[in-house]
Amino acid sequence: MAELRDEKGLAKAERYYTDYGVRARELKAEGKKIIGYISALCPVEVLTAAGVVPFRLKGNVNEAITKGDAYMETIVCPFVRSVFDSAIKGKFNFIDGMVLPHQCDSLDRTSDVWRDYLNLPYFHFLNAPHVTDDPSIEFMKELLKLFIKTLEEYTGKKITDEDLKQAIAKHNENRRLMRGLYELRKVNPPLISGVEMIKVLIAAMGLPVDESNKLITEVIDEVKARAIPSNGLKKRIMIIGDQIDSVDIMDAIEGAGAYLVMDDISVGSKMYWQDIDTDKEPLQAIAERYLRKLKIPTNFVDTGGTYEDNLNARFGHMRRYIEEFKVDGAILFIYKYCDPYGFEVPAIKSYIESAGVPVLYLEDEYSTSTIARMKTRIEAFLEMMA
Amino acid sequence: MINYFAGVDIGSTMTKVVIYGEGIRAMIIGPTGPEHRKLANKVMEEALIQAHLKFEDLSYIIATGYGRINVPFADRQVTEITCHAKGLHSLLPTVKTVVDIGGQDSKGIKIKDGRVVSFVMNDKCAAGTGRFIEIMADSLGVPLNDMGRLSLTADKPAMISSTCTVFAEHEVTNQLSGGETLPNLVAGIHESVATRVASLVKKLNIEPDVAITGGGAKNIGLVKALEKKLGCPVLIPPEPLITGALGAAILAKEIFEKYTKEGQVPERSKSGLQEAKFFD
Repeated sequence: MAELRDEKGLAKAERYYTDYGVRARELKAEGKKIIGYISALCPVEVLTAAGVVPFRLKGNVNEAITKGDAYMETIVCPFVRSVFDSAIKGKFNFIDGMVLPHQCDSLDRTSDVWRDYLNLPYFHFLNAPHVTDDPSIEFMKELLKLFIKTLEEYTGKKITDEDLKQAIAKHNENRRLMRGLYELRKVNPPLISGVEMIKVLIAAMGLPVDESNKLITEVIDEVKARAIPSNGLKKRIMIIGDQIDSVDIMDAIEGAGAYLVMDDISVGSKMYWQDIDTDKEPLQAIAERYLRKLKIPTNFVDTGGTYEDNLNARFGHMRRYIEEFKVDGAILFIYKYCDPYGFEVPAIKSYIESAGVPVLYLEDEYSTSTIARMKTRIEAFLEMMA
Repeated sequence: MINYFAGVDIGSTMTKVVIYGEGIRAMIIGPTGPEHRKLANKVMEEALIQAHLKFEDLSYIIATGYGRINVPFADRQVTEITCHAKGLHSLLPTVKTVVDIGGQDSKGIKIKDGRVVSFVMNDKCAAGTGRFIEIMADSLGVPLNDMGRLSLTADKPAMISSTCTVFAEHEVTNQLSGGETLPNLVAGIHESVATRVASLVKKLNIEPDVAITGGGAKNIGLVKALEKKLGCPVLIPPEPLITGALGAAILAKEIFEKYTKEGQVPERSKSGLQEAKFFD
């Protein structure tokens, strides 16, 4: 790897995006344990504290599901099937274990398939609750203790409160840095494109936290050094959705003549917008962050107030993004058979439209085969806003 | 001096060209065919002959439809959604909701003051599109153009419950061999498509007047079935196939005039009237 020693910032992110898992493979060869996880609901701090490398699994929109369908029914969402297809084909043969959360039915009901057919040395089903009241926080803390216990047994190393505090500090730093990179999208035109951004986001989720922090810092330095652009004339778009983990839809949006300036997606702002409180006992702080602060459709936030209050609790952050990032239009991009998002679509759409921002709702396969049809809708949406 | 503009609409089934000066000067409709990209220029040539014009006389050209990126001589590409709204508004200014039933997709468009305010497109499959009717006509041995008239003689439309085109074809042939009459089956097919299209368009909060465009508008049986499902009358423009191309031509005129007003000239395509190539 001598020729790559000077590789930095966006070039490094590009390589880690294109050859996803390349760094984890190297770390594995160095003797590190790699633990895969699949959604924003995994408390990565616990994995870091255990001394293992958290590695987010992704699917492949450019590859047909060929082996996975022999194990999972097609009623399972196409993202989950694609990730499993990659896993069963050996694309992630460097992982030592996996954490699967109780999140959507497609994940819950396939947990035995993942456990039995991948047959990894470590496997844990994190039975996270969907309700966020006080008893749920207590329940989540007990679950975290269980999770910690299984990791301790697997690694043979005790996880202390101090380990947790250090991991929390590092991941908070990771989130702060990534938010700093998002800041550079606020100017018009943004200093970093949506296509570049998704590559950085994906590269970052396949790295140990220290390396991720270094990568983001390098990218910020590189992007900040760019000339301050003149007045941008294109519409500023925010993308909302679940597990978007490839450049294709970002490329389609920007290729149609728009700036992609913000996201509310699982590998993006959802991961980075809410820190873990450091003035609380670590398990309490982690439980609160993943149940109450994390903005995902499977966390039911009942404020005890009106329907409007609940909507604000669930989607209020999107309105803040719209103001802060001067968003002209939102694209809601949902995979077919994604039930948590499917149920929320009408509410999100009307909530954002009531803020005066038009919304384009796209329901798609987890595949680039339909991208041309998506492009027509995106172009028509931009023409409509022109 | 009159300036002339052209709109080229390459749909999945038909290619349409409109030349527009002060009003429509020429309008040509030709089949798209499998090598449709090679045909855009031929249809354009025919339109120029009809208009007694040369290619050089055209001041600005817009391509639309799903083949829009494959028209090298076009100066700009605009989606069929914007163009349909523009074209239809010029023909029937009172229309607020447009239903377009094309060969491979169907869509609903809401118009306010001549502009698109929202739209929906089918994203599941061929159910609810012209292709569904084409395939059924083929398997029943009825010429496509006779489907509409034939269905009007039905006494009780047959129930076609499958939405999958292939399964529906099976269902239709089974019912035929079970003794169901041809008119009832054809009427049932139209109702099936109308149901799909209506449920798609109803997401838009339909406001009258409603108009229908695309090949589906040429099928009186389908139009009647749609009126029933939507619960309101549906207007049909004089030539429902050309609204996209007409909208593209009018948009070309508007863009050209906007530039001229500002003392500028819009950038033109450098390509002459030639066959589109897949790879340049």
